[in-house]
Amino acid sequence: MTQAPTQPGAVLTKPPFLRAPEASRTILLVIFACACLPLAAGVFFFGWRVIILTAISVATCVGVESIYYRLTRQPALRRRTHAALMGLLLALTLPPFVPWYVPLAGGVIAIVIGKAIFGGVGHFLWQPALVGRLAVVVLFAPPLWSVVELTRPAWPVLAVNRVITGDIANVRPAERYVSWRDTQATGSNDAFELPTPRKILRELTTDQARPPESIGEQLAKLPSAWDIIVGAYGGGIGETCSLAILCAGLYLIYRNYVNGYLSGMMILAAAVTAAVAPVRTAAGDFRWLPLLIEGSDVGFLYVVYQVLAGELLLSAFFLAPEMTSRPVTAPAQGIFGLLCGGLGMLLALYTSIPIPFYAAVLACNTLTPVLDGIRPRVLGQRRWWQKKS
Amino acid sequence: MPRRRFGTFSGGINLPAEKDATLDAAIAPWPVQELRIPLCPLPAAQAQPVVAPGDKVKPGQLLARTDDPQQVNVYAPLAGVVGDFTDVLVPDDFFGWRSSRAIVLKDLQPASQPNRPDFDWEHADAAELLERLREGHLLLCSGPFDNVSRWLESAIESAADTLICNVMENAPLVTADHRLLAERGGDVVRGLAILAKALSVAHTMLAVDSQRTGAYRSAARLAGALKIDTIALAPKYPIEAQAMLTQVLTRRQVVPGRSTLSVRVAMVDAATCAAAYQWAALGLRQTHRVVTMAGRGVKSPGNYLIPFGTDAAWLLAQACESEPPLRVHGSPMNGRELAVGAVVGPRTNALLGMEDSYAGPPTPCIRCGWCSDNCPARLNVAALNDDFELAHLDGAKARCVTACVGCGICTYLCPARLPLMSRCQQLRQMILREAKAATP
Ligand code: SF4
Ligand code: SF4
Repeated sequence: MTQAPTQPGAVLTKPPFLRAPEASRTILLVIFACACLPLAAGVFFFGWRVIILTAISVATCVGVESIYYRLTRQPALRRRTHAALMGLLLALTLPPFVPWYVPLAGGVIAIVIGKAIFGGVGHFLWQPALVGRLAVVVLFAPPLWSVVELTRPAWPVLAVNRVITGDIANVRPAERYVSWRDTQATGSNDAFELPTPRKILRELTTDQARPPESIGEQLAKLPSAWDIIVGAYGGGIGETCSLAILCAGLYLIYRNYVNGYLSGMMILAAAVTAAVAPVRTAAGDFRWLPLLIEGSDVGFLYVVYQVLAGELLLSAFFLAPEMTSRPVTAPAQGIFGLLCGGLGMLLALYTSIPIPFYAAVLACNTLTPVLDGIRPRVLGQRRWWQKKS
Repeated sequence: MPRRRFGTFSGGINLPAEKDATLDAAIAPWPVQELRIPLCPLPAAQAQPVVAPGDKVKPGQLLARTDDPQQVNVYAPLAGVVGDFTDVLVPDDFFGWRSSRAIVLKDLQPASQPNRPDFDWEHADAAELLERLREGHLLLCSGPFDNVSRWLESAIESAADTLICNVMENAPLVTADHRLLAERGGDVVRGLAILAKALSVAHTMLAVDSQRTGAYRSAARLAGALKIDTIALAPKYPIEAQAMLTQVLTRRQVVPGRSTLSVRVAMVDAATCAAAYQWAALGLRQTHRVVTMAGRGVKSPGNYLIPFGTDAAWLLAQACESEPPLRVHGSPMNGRELAVGAVVGPRTNALLGMEDSYAGPPTPCIRCGWCSDNCPARLNVAALNDDFELAHLDGAKARCVTACVGCGICTYLCPARLPLMSRCQQLRQMILREAKAATP
């Protein structure tokens, strides 16, 4: 009892004296690790160029963030793990054949416009990686600068005997597509080109010079279901492998880093929209409920293809649930997911926007402050009809 | 009484219990050498000493007297010799400490108070019981910083119709109330019956943790005989918070910023009940407290009967083989860091050695939403954190921060390591103080 007594009001550690083990960094690192799963699938199907693009994107984001922090000294910006995650997510959304300056430009815009000018983590309104992706679409598309064919009709995949090691730039068109497993590259060509499933599906709903005979006929042109599930078709680096995205996404839901409501509602809304929204018939008029037009088996396949082919899954599990730009409460996240999925599917069906679901997520991000108003009643707070006048 | 199903509450989490070391440790005495007994156990005028240095005192003898109804008389826990006066720290609102004059008691003899069963509580009416309890100068061991008789008065004033004894105790490590109910269940249950009679309430309930009912069989049997409902509830944290237990048991939601009395529920803990019985029936003064000592570095974890006025830091040092990184008084979720000079009092339900939970400076909120998802009061904690940082008191008022029950879940979960609970509690305190100043 020799110590001097503590003065009342001295600064002491405040309770609780126990802390859950998860820090922000842990969360970001786990999401980063999970996002590496679709990336691995991307490397497998699109070759070593993917690694370079991803490295450029991640390095750009981290570098820009560091420079911006050095200039402004805003503590909220010293979050390099978050910047790295944004870089990785941006890379996952990019096509595998773009030149090196595309991820560079996307990364700079993602961090500066998407994140830094809002004040960093916790403050930005739109998911930064998608801001970068949108900028890429705008910058490198026809009116401005169409060197890169972001909207080219056929996208490449490496052939079976050239996976990982092949160069995605050496392409030839596939003459007759059966299944990815039967593709063999010969000579200097490593990859073959296919129309993206989205493009084939879009022919059913948009104005065509020669409208397709039936949904079934159109589905026959698509890669097999197995190819769609493992990701052996043309698409963004991390968009194609449904299996990898699902595994990683479910793990994130299990860790409570992603709210299952949001992802579930987004996929559900997209599926319902696809099942109900009208398609064009051969005669050129619209018919509702494609799920039932040609029998439920064809309709079911149609809906499954609409959901799996494209960027919906990546959006639902990695991009829409980004913590800062989504609403906070579970019901609000459900509504957010519904809006994203529904709007995204409508854009995918009836417009020629190259990134329908990303655009939908960005649009719904704008609504986040409104959706954040949905809150449970505070314990003991009077309901509005009980309020005293 | 018709069987009712009890609900639960939204939010809350399952904490690691970590109670195994002390759950079955019987209450044991602990030898002490010196006591420093505070003359200001409550935040009111100091009690005036009636002994002088050098006087020999017997256990239970009056040491200081007060006429202030907000203060209590001070009694000697053990036999000894009165020494000098000194200063000690006692717990205060909002996780802090308050200074108090204290009487030093030296040359302690291990003697206990003699039973003086001179009051027939079973046949006394409410007024007689109230008078008897007022003479007891008992302190509440949880809830507001007040004495039992003032608390009873305010409960009668607010027409309380339900009395709940809260033995949920589901914060990690703490087992003091559990042992008290398991070993001295008779005292606790009879004390609860005495308080119920004094309050003339319609329902009396004993709320216990459903995982430990096996230890409470005899208490539950006695409770049945005394028309007290024993209710076992699942231990989701923070069901031990008064507002949460009230909601689960009575479906009434406590008015934000007020106590459970605002919905006519009076709530006590096991230690207060036991003290009420020991005074009312046996004439024993409230001079000891069952304290759980456990946690990191504690070589003899257990539940010990400690006289008031024991130096808490000394006691914990005795129990530890090495200095723990952090010493905690009370629950690890919402207790306070042990200050040097603090003494054991009615609120010392635990003295714990803890790991230092400081994991670096706070980082910006990433809007993960875990704080508000799990807040049992359904507060928008992240927004309240913004209100705190911007000193935006009106915003906090509109978000009803006064409903915060101080459970600590938000800080526990926050991956950005923001001190959310203490900020919410500060906002709450400021708003309550402002409201108090506004009312004449
Ligand atoms: S705001 Fe209060 S009631 Fe809510 S979790 Fe934090 S401490 Fe508990
Ligand atoms: S838990 Fe922390 S980081 Fe998450 S929303 Fe709440 S304040 Fe922000």
